[in-house]
Amino acid sequence: MTPAIEVRGLCRSFRQRGGLLGQDRTVVAVDDVSFTLAGGGVLGVVGESGCGKSTLARIILGLLPPTAGEVLVEGRRLAAMDRRARARLIQPVFQDPFASLNPRRRIRDIVAMPLVAQGDIPARQVADRAAEMLARVGLSAEQAERYPAQLSGGQRQRVAIARALVLRPRIVICDEPTSALDVSVQAQILNLLAELRRELNLTYLFISHNLAVVEHVATEVAVMYLGRIVERATADALFRAPQHPYTKALLASVLTPEPGLGVPDVGLGETLPDPANIPPACRFHPRCPVAEPRCATTTPHAIMTAGGAAECLLLEGAGKP
Amino acid sequence: MSTSDRGAPPARSPNPPRQSPPLLEIEELRVTFGRTAAVRGASFSLEKGETHCVVGESGCGKSVTALAVMGLLARGARREAARLEFAGQDLRALSERQLSALRGDRMAMIFQEPMTSLNPAYTVGSQMAEVFTRHRGGSRRAALDRAADLLARVGITAPGMRLGQFPHQLSGGLRQRVMIAMALMCDPELLIADEPTTALDVTVQAQILRLLAELQRDLGLGILLITHDLGIVARIADRVSVMYAGEVVESAPTAALFAAPSHPYTRGLLACVPVPGKVKREEALGSIPGMVPRIPPGFTGCAFRDRCDHAAPECAGAVPRQQAGAHEVLCRLPPGWAA
Amino acid sequence: MRQAGLVLGGVIVGIALLCAILAPWIVPHDPFLQNLDNRLAVPFWMEGSNPAHLLGTDQLGRDYLSRLVHGARISMLIGVLTVVASGLIGTTLGVLGGFFGGRVDDAVLFAITCRLAIPVVLVALAVVGLLGSSLTLVILVLGLLLWDRFAVVARSTTMQLRNLDYVAAAWSAGVSTPGILLKEILPNIASHLAVVATLEMALAILLEAALSFLGLGVPPPLPSWGLMIAEGKDYMFFSPWVIFIPGVTLFIVVLGINLLGDGLRDLLGAGDTR
Ligand SMILES: Nc1ncnc2c1ncn2[C@@H]1O[C@H](COP(=O)(O)OP(=O)(O)OP(=O)(O)O)[C@@H](O)[C@H]1O
Ligand SMILES: Nc1ncnc2c1ncn2[C@@H]1O[C@H](COP(=O)(O)OP(=O)(O)OP(=O)(O)O)[C@@H](O)[C@H]1O
Ligand code: SF4
Ligand SMILES: [Mg+2]
Ligand SMILES: [Mg+2]
Repeated sequence: MTPAIEVRGLCRSFRQRGGLLGQDRTVVAVDDVSFTLAGGGVLGVVGESGCGKSTLARIILGLLPPTAGEVLVEGRRLAAMDRRARARLIQPVFQDPFASLNPRRRIRDIVAMPLVAQGDIPARQVADRAAEMLARVGLSAEQAERYPAQLSGGQRQRVAIARALVLRPRIVICDEPTSALDVSVQAQILNLLAELRRELNLTYLFISHNLAVVEHVATEVAVMYLGRIVERATADALFRAPQHPYTKALLASVLTPEPGLGVPDVGLGETLPDPANIPPACRFHPRCPVAEPRCATTTPHAIMTAGGAAECLLLEGAGKP
Repeated sequence: MSTSDRGAPPARSPNPPRQSPPLLEIEELRVTFGRTAAVRGASFSLEKGETHCVVGESGCGKSVTALAVMGLLARGARREAARLEFAGQDLRALSERQLSALRGDRMAMIFQEPMTSLNPAYTVGSQMAEVFTRHRGGSRRAALDRAADLLARVGITAPGMRLGQFPHQLSGGLRQRVMIAMALMCDPELLIADEPTTALDVTVQAQILRLLAELQRDLGLGILLITHDLGIVARIADRVSVMYAGEVVESAPTAALFAAPSHPYTRGLLACVPVPGKVKREEALGSIPGMVPRIPPGFTGCAFRDRCDHAAPECAGAVPRQQAGAHEVLCRLPPGWAA
Repeated sequence: MRQAGLVLGGVIVGIALLCAILAPWIVPHDPFLQNLDNRLAVPFWMEGSNPAHLLGTDQLGRDYLSRLVHGARISMLIGVLTVVASGLIGTTLGVLGGFFGGRVDDAVLFAITCRLAIPVVLVALAVVGLLGSSLTLVILVLGLLLWDRFAVVARSTTMQLRNLDYVAAAWSAGVSTPGILLKEILPNIASHLAVVATLEMALAILLEAALSFLGLGVPPPLPSWGLMIAEGKDYMFFSPWVIFIPGVTLFIVVLGINLLGDGLRDLLGAGDTR
């Protein structure tokens, strides 16, 4: 069976102007990322701020051309599709519900927009399908007449979800869809996304820095560090037995609501990485609590683990103590 | 009530520490903005060296409470309280000058909006140094050294370079850490932190929370921490107050609150968050239907009753504040009813 | 206080527009009808005035009030059409540059720089002087010269919007690029452009008056305010009102437009903070 999404060797870098005196810098946001995701699955993408999660999402959506590599959606090359065909396959839900809705359009027009853009759907049907979708995400006909500013954050995110699903796409790219919301509203939105996935057999790429949320929604998880996927595994395996030292540190920093445990020291040091100046060999070695001398000289390769793969030298040379 | 009989803290030093007034004591705080009652009779108290967390949904009045203590409410706000004391000093009796001598020095605040509370026209270094020299005097050089030292402690690399930058040149996470370092410039006794780690990664968040805990141990810093992250609350709070629609609906020592959450709102909040390691993927998360209502002045009864599964007709009347030991609940149901 | 400015500006501009539209039906006399027996009649506040000619008559005995009201027609026509022309040019360039960036933006920036290097009044004088004066020509020349501020504002606001998620969402929804520009970008920069439009309108009206005063604007006998001042200047020592009346009218209308613009800007500023 062809996977819903297949990504091969994606790279993307940005040039940053260095101001008057400084020289230009090249920021490597995504560095040789490959993965496949089967239809109906949820791939959670986690990692620190600036590690390239949103850049990856924007490339897969076709909003940003990659510097190298290609994206295949249901076996077809994304770059070869026209925008309308792509819209029928893959749709986004963004983080900030205040920035993702045009403040000058009514809710019903926002949700109808993808249908109208197709150009060949009769107006009657456009209105019906938009209304049906709005009802499905829990918004009333009266709310459909309003403008985004007249809705709460949670309601706006429902509108964004309705807009993404009105064309019945196969894949939805969710870039931190609940980070701007209250915990109670977050729960409502996560439940809605889960229901819709089951009902419509959707595939999600779900970006979040909240590991508990990812654990709740994802079937598979990719951990990104400085533009690379350093570990990828099924959600069960990853959360039960993380393999990469960075994944371990990330999981250890999660503060579960269990009193009395205190705040752990995960031993990552205090220096955050600079994406314009990626360390050689294993890019994690300056911060890695278990790094060995060879980590600064040898580049690790992906090693199969119980539920997936991870890039760490300690997994390769298991023989060395 | 009056400040005179309390005296200055040093005069009291022969007494055992229990006798000294709490670091912060708030009773029956009320804040209204025209037709909106933002805070409706909230009471807290905070001892030296204690961490008190305030949790609740957006719009519950958490920030307004903090701003009311600092005397920084927007114009048009009305503040009333039965008691509002900082280390035995009545904050309501202080002049604006006396207050600003306290602010940034003995009591400091980390604001929720790091962008709007840093001045875009000055470098990070000069803003941090200014706080220090205004309260402590001394040379600018020494102040800048201290600023660099604190920036390093909140995990900022190349602090010397950051001192020369303007706020808009920093990312959200960096700005938030600058705000934290700035609040710590004068070794405050009371730190009010309004969602201090929302823009930070989990690894950096852990580091900053550890730093705060360390300062608390070394200097006896009292922290009033506003957050909606129940994980942070569980890990660092000594006591928790849950706010809903301007009221403290439940207040208890952290262990007691998590062991026996009693107010239906607190129980709802706890059911909403997926707990790492205990997720049930096939089950829906618990959620609280509806939204935080906007409460007009003169409202009576439980403000949560429209969203509550346990609401009864009596909830529309005056609801009792029930107490069991240190566990307080504002509900018709007593503390620990669910256990 | 600010609201007061907005309301006052709105009322002034509203009256001027009404006069402009309704001029043929509300004026008491034909503005072109000469009556050499009744030249330079005095306005109502002076002794010996004639109630039939409230604001007196000009050097050819034409009713001054009627000419003034018809002058509003010319001024408003020039103001509005110039703004439409320059707005179209400037907004198109600015939106394209701001949205596409890169080479397109470089070209737009170059065009703006070139435009800023052109001395407006001199070029207008030269063109009208060469091709002879007509209403259409004045509008065309002003429209081609006053688009720079539209372009600058449209470009910078479009740049801010371009990166917002709702534009990305429209793109992913399959909306065509013209569709995005027209439905997602334009409505959201329109309020900024409205402020620019008021500024440019005031400027266009003043420039037209200046050109007409120099005899290079609208041709006589059309009653433009600038032309009225020019025609009256020979009589100003004995009949000062002939230049005083159109001069003050011009001042009030331009002031009104600027008040309206400032009010709009304040409304905008206040509306922007969430
Ligand atoms: N348009 C751009 N121009 C220059 N640099 C960019 C651009 N977009 C992203 N970057 C850089 O690429 C890197 C990855 O950014 P990205 O937004 O993908 O991170 P992220 O993982 O989504 O982070 P966050 O969790 O903060 O959203 C960052 O260093 C960022 O500064
Ligand atoms: N300056 C103001 N004028 C009018 N109403 C205000 C003002 N500031 C706050 N409010 C109102 O007071 C209530 C409480 O707001 P507050 O900012 O304290 O919420 P919060 O609990 O801090 O929420 P969040 O988690 O979003 O920061 C809200 O309903 C808000 O609309
Ligand atoms: S007082 Fe009543 S409505 Fe309010 S929380 Fe308790 S049971 Fe629910
Ligand atoms: Mg991102
Ligand atoms: Mg707040």
